[in-house]
Amino acid sequence: MNKKLLYQIGSILLICAFFLSLNGGMYLIFTGRLSNNFSSAAQAKMIDVSKYLPHEEDSELPTIAADLPLKGDLPVLDGAAALVPVYAAIIHNVYPEGSVSYEGGVFSDDNFYGENFAPDSKMQYKNTVRGFEAVVNGETDLFFSAAPSAEQRQYAKDRGVELVYVPVGLEAFVFFVNEQNPVNGLTVEQIRDIYQGKCTNWSEVGGVNRPINPVSRLRGSGSQSAMDAFIGSYDPANKSPFALFGASIGFSFRYYMDGIVGNQAVKMLALNGVYPSEENIQNGSYPFIAEFYAVYRADTQNENIPLLINWILSPDGQRLIEECGYVAMKESEPT
Amino acid sequence: MKTNRYITLLLVIFALLTLLTVAHLCYAVYAYEHCSIIYFIAKELW
Repeated sequence: MNKKLLYQIGSILLICAFFLSLNGGMYLIFTGRLSNNFSSAAQAKMIDVSKYLPHEEDSELPTIAADLPLKGDLPVLDGAAALVPVYAAIIHNVYPEGSVSYEGGVFSDDNFYGENFAPDSKMQYKNTVRGFEAVVNGETDLFFSAAPSAEQRQYAKDRGVELVYVPVGLEAFVFFVNEQNPVNGLTVEQIRDIYQGKCTNWSEVGGVNRPINPVSRLRGSGSQSAMDAFIGSYDPANKSPFALFGASIGFSFRYYMDGIVGNQAVKMLALNGVYPSEENIQNGSYPFIAEFYAVYRADTQNENIPLLINWILSPDGQRLIEECGYVAMKESEPT
Repeated sequence: MKTNRYITLLLVIFALLTLLTVAHLCYAVYAYEHCSIIYFIAKELW
């Protein structure tokens, strides 16, 4: 083999090695961490709806002695992923068996959103963005979610629909990092600085010398709307491209993170020195507590909706909220 | 290998690998916008 041929083969191999290293490195540092929401397998990790099916023997939904005789047209319930246990538990305890049905007769999580509820089922799962549109368009009667975004309020307004928002429970809005990150808490001001691009390295907040990657959610999702309300307007894209390779901070609702996903490789941060425990949420010492709502159209003709709302705010309903892992409204707040 | 053939081969390989890398980047951007942030942070390298 002559020298020229060796040189040619060597240069081709060198180019291949360069691209292999580049893509392999990208995969290890970044792409391999992306579990997407558009595969049913990943969606099931967001929430495994099969654990929260009403009236099923192996359901993990709590059962209480509920006494609410509903007659006639039972409201269709839907909600955000984080609130599936709540509205599924309401159906489980209040609705008669047979209220929930599936396409093909059996539950399957192979669909886009990890569910196959039949069109006439009283339980649906469209998650925040699609579910909010469904309540505005009259496909859903009662929708459970965090405070809606400005865009969602506008969506309803544009269609001339007035919505009623009834706070039915409390939940902590939490920030979390990888379990290996030495930072255990931040102040509210530090969180604002991080998301507004004023603080860009963990060493500035007592951590290691590594860029901060402040991760945001899809616009219109429940947690992103809560975040917008928390720190005001900010541009999620306002960060260095190198931040993607730094150590991330994210946000979510406490029970969704801790109770539903329960990933041990992430940890919640204390805010202003207060950890988001159930006790600190109810006594009000945790600085960021959000209400979650039952939302319905003001012009609804379904006479069961006020009955259901009153029951959710009653001691029985609030006990159910607590047994689902959330925090009940303070005693003075139910009406 | 003749020089012309070598350069052509080199360019074809380079173009193919560049296209694959661009596709990888496009996928990464799209998936990042839709990924579960809990799993993204949980899988962080430390």
